[in-house]
This record gives sequence, structure tokens and C-alpha cells, in this order.
Amino acid sequence: MLINRKYIMAITGLFLCIFLIVHLSANFLLLLPNNLAKEAYNTYSHLLRNNPLISAVSILLYLAIIFHSVMALIITLDNKKAKPQKYFMNYAQQNSSWNSRNMGLLGLMILIFIIVHMANFWAKVKLGYGPELPIDSKGQIDIYSVVVTTLKNPFITLFYTILSIPLAMHLHHGVQSAAKTLGLYHKRYLKYVALIATFYSCVMGLGFGLIPLYIYFFSQG
Amino acid sequence: MRVNFKIWRQESHQEEGSFKDYSVDNITSDMSLLEALDYLNETLVLKDEKVVAFDYDCREGICGQCGIFVNGRAHGPHDNTTTCQVHMRSFEDGQTIVLEPWRARAFPIVKDLIVDRSALDRIIQKNGYITVKTGGAGEANSILVAKKDADKAMDAAACIGCGACIATCKNSSASLFTAAKINHLDHLPQGKLETNERVMAMVSQMELENFGSCSFTGACEIECPQSISITEIARMNNLFLKAKLTKE
Ligand code: HEM
Ligand code: FES
Repeated sequence: MLINRKYIMAITGLFLCIFLIVHLSANFLLLLPNNLAKEAYNTYSHLLRNNPLISAVSILLYLAIIFHSVMALIITLDNKKAKPQKYFMNYAQQNSSWNSRNMGLLGLMILIFIIVHMANFWAKVKLGYGPELPIDSKGQIDIYSVVVTTLKNPFITLFYTILSIPLAMHLHHGVQSAAKTLGLYHKRYLKYVALIATFYSCVMGLGFGLIPLYIYFFSQG
Repeated sequence: MRVNFKIWRQESHQEEGSFKDYSVDNITSDMSLLEALDYLNETLVLKDEKVVAFDYDCREGICGQCGIFVNGRAHGPHDNTTTCQVHMRSFEDGQTIVLEPWRARAFPIVKDLIVDRSALDRIIQKNGYITVKTGGAGEANSILVAKKDADKAMDAAACIGCGACIATCKNSSASLFTAAKINHLDHLPQGKLETNERVMAMVSQMELENFGSCSFTGACEIECPQSISITEIARMNNLFLKAKLTKE
């Protein structure tokens, strides 16, 4: 049913939102001075890879992305079907935000981002694609140099930085929409949610957008 | 003043429609938009042409019968007004005014600017009422209603069913309408008793009628002549979730 699907969108979306917080926090390790960053990031990555609880959560994460994307496709197509003929003239910008009207498009950009991102790192580490991975002095996979080498490519850095914008836009509407989808209706709380959504989407957008630039300019593998 | 109407003409749901242009002189700025259309129709009658069909009843902004997509906005250029409350002073001399019918799969076109909104009636027919035995009016004070609850019920009950929320929604979602009807009764002790069945039945009917789902763009609350808040939809989602979780 219509609302059931939206509950799935909202719950998977919010789950992904929490994941993003964890993910960004870890990425801040990359901003430490080179040597420290290398050790901290490699150790962090090593701990994650060898923790069964994290493996279980990561499966949830993949499922959330898949469910969220598939539901998004179904909902967006159904919504389009509900208005088979568009208006000749429509000043939608006078009554609603662009983000809110283009969640599908923004989500698609994020999906492309996720695929490239996983090809860049996940496929190399988890699936073993590409050349043999470097090992650091502690015998752990030197994921830090993989990150830095990848992001020394200006196109990849630019891609990451630019796509952090649709991410922020998607999140700004997504968080507020999810709260209402799940039944939060008090105006006072919704005002707080709006503030949180603005703060959250800015931090995520700036964080994921600027870290690659920092690495491109300042880090050494 | 002189205006150029660009009006959607369509004989029936089965036939194709298209825009037709009409230049109309001698419009005064204090005419309402519907009066300007009356005037256009008079000139069409004199020329033996078919008049433009459009819906209205009270022309006082209270019945919800009127509804035209005027220059890219449901009910015209102002927020929270009905079509019948739009006046020609809102337009400029020589301006082109585009008039389109509400667009939604659930609202088949009857003729020109008139659409069939009976899908909304069918949603109300699914438990959008309370089950009481009819008869003499009961003693008014036998069921006490707090002022704040009565106010909230009235805020939702203000919905006049014009369909602007559906017309403006990119998904043609009937969520604002359905939520208003559900919440209106849920705020009152007489209605609350049947909220679970009601919210399930009305939401199911909304889906059967081919409306889209709600993306919370907020367009509906800007176009709603009664300023019904989008938080009504959040409240409906809340009631629906509760009804699902407590279903026996
Ligand atoms: C990290 C990734 C993502 C996060 C954190 C996220 C978060 C969210 C949240 C919280 C919502 C609000 C749910 C609601 O309206 O109740 C949402 C909605 C939506 N998301 Fe995502 N999302 C992500 C990725 C994606 C992807 C990859 C797609 C598409 C392929 C997508 C498409 C959509 C669409 C279409 C909606 C709106 C559905 C509607 O019209 O109501 N999202 N997202
Ligand atoms: S004709 Fe009654 S509200 Fe416009």
C-alpha cells in the first residue's frame, strides 16, 4: 500500500542517515597529519573488517540501499502514473522546494555515486579486484594509501566533491519527509526536525565534499 | 482591459483536447475571473460557438465546486484562495491567462475545465462518517468536547473538497484531503471510536482510486483555500501506523 512503501522509504532512509554519520566520523581520521592518519585509518578499517557484528550490520546496509532504491523506483514510477498529463504552465517553484520535487533524480545521482564509490574501494578491498593492495608496517591492508592514491586523480576528487551536493539536497528534504512519513505531526517538533535536517545535510555535504579535496591537495600516501 | 485567454478545450474524457486562444476586450479589473469567463461565454454564444465549460456554485469561496489551474497555479496566482475569489485585477492588461483543468489520473475530464472528482466522494463513502442511529438530535452537552479538540476538528473539517491539493501535487496524491477527513473525525469523541477502521478503509480507497503517494513537497498546503496544514498528513500516517500495529 501507498503508505507502507513510504514507511519502508523512511526507515531505510533514516538507517542510511545514521550510517552516514558513522562513515563521515571515520573519514575525519583522514584529516590527521599523514602518519597518524595512515595508522589510525588502517587500524580502524582492519577492526571493521574483522568484526562479525560489523559484517552483519553491513549486510543490513546493503539491503537498506537496495530496498530504498527499489522502493524509490516503484514509488516514483507510480507517482508519475498518477499524473499522466502534465500542465502546460506550472509554477511549482512558488509552492514547493526543488529538492522535494526531485528526490528521485537526486537519489539516482547518489546511487551512481555509491556505485562508483564501491568500485573505487569496496570492490578492491572486499572482492579483490585490481592490483594487489599495499600492506602497512603493521601488516594491515594499507587502505589509507589506496584512498589517497585514488583521490590524487583530479576527476575522481571532483566527482566526489560535486556529488556531495545532491547528497546534501536529498538529505535536507529526506530527513524532514521521513519524520512526517513516520507520523511526527506536532508543529513544534517539526520545526526542530527542520533545523536538524539543515544542520545535518550541511555537515554531510561539506564533510563528504571537502575531505576528498583536502586529500587531493595535502595528503601523501 | 483586454486579456488573452488560452483555454483547454476538450469535448469529453474519450476525446483529445487542445488549447484554444480567445482575445477578450472590455474586461474590468473588478470582475472576478469567473465573471470574465461568463463574459467570454456570452460572446461565444453570440458567435454560435460552444461555450467554455467550467465548474462553480457559490462563487463565495466556500463550496469547493470551482477549480481551475490558472497560469501555472491551482486556483490562480494567490496562495490559499479558490478560483472564484481570483479577480481580474490580479492580471495585467494584455496578459495571457492560461486555464487548464485539474490534471490527475483519478480526475477524468468531463468537459473543458470540468473534471470528475467523484473519487473523493468514494473515499468519504468508505467510513468517512460515524455510525450513529439517526433520529432526534441528542442532548448537545451529553458528550463533552474540549475547546481545543473542537478547534482542531474544525481546522480539518474546513476542507471543502475542491481537489486543489491533488491538482497541484506532482504525484496527484489525495493525502491532504483524506487526512483532513480522517483527522476531523478523530479529534472528536464520537469519531475516535472508529478511527482504526476508518483510517484503514479510507487509505485503501485512496489507493484504489489511483492517487499517488505523498512526497511532502508541501504544495498542497500552499494551494489549499482552507489553509489545511500538511501536518494533517503526518497525523494520518501516525494514525495509520497505530491502526496497523494494533490490528486484531
Ligand atoms: C546514502 C544514501 C541515502 C540516504 C541517506 C537517503 C535518505 C532518504 C530519506 C531519509 C528519505 C525520506 C523518506 C520519506 O520520504 O519518508 C529519502 C527519500 C527518497 N529517496 Fe533516498 N536516501 C539515500 C539514497 C537514495 C538513493 C540511492 C535513491 C534512488 C536510487 C533514493 C531515492 C529516494 C527517493 C525517490 C525518495 C523520495 C520518495 C518520495 O517521493 O517520497 N535515495 N531518502
Ligand atoms: S464556487 Fe464555491 S468555492 Fe468557488
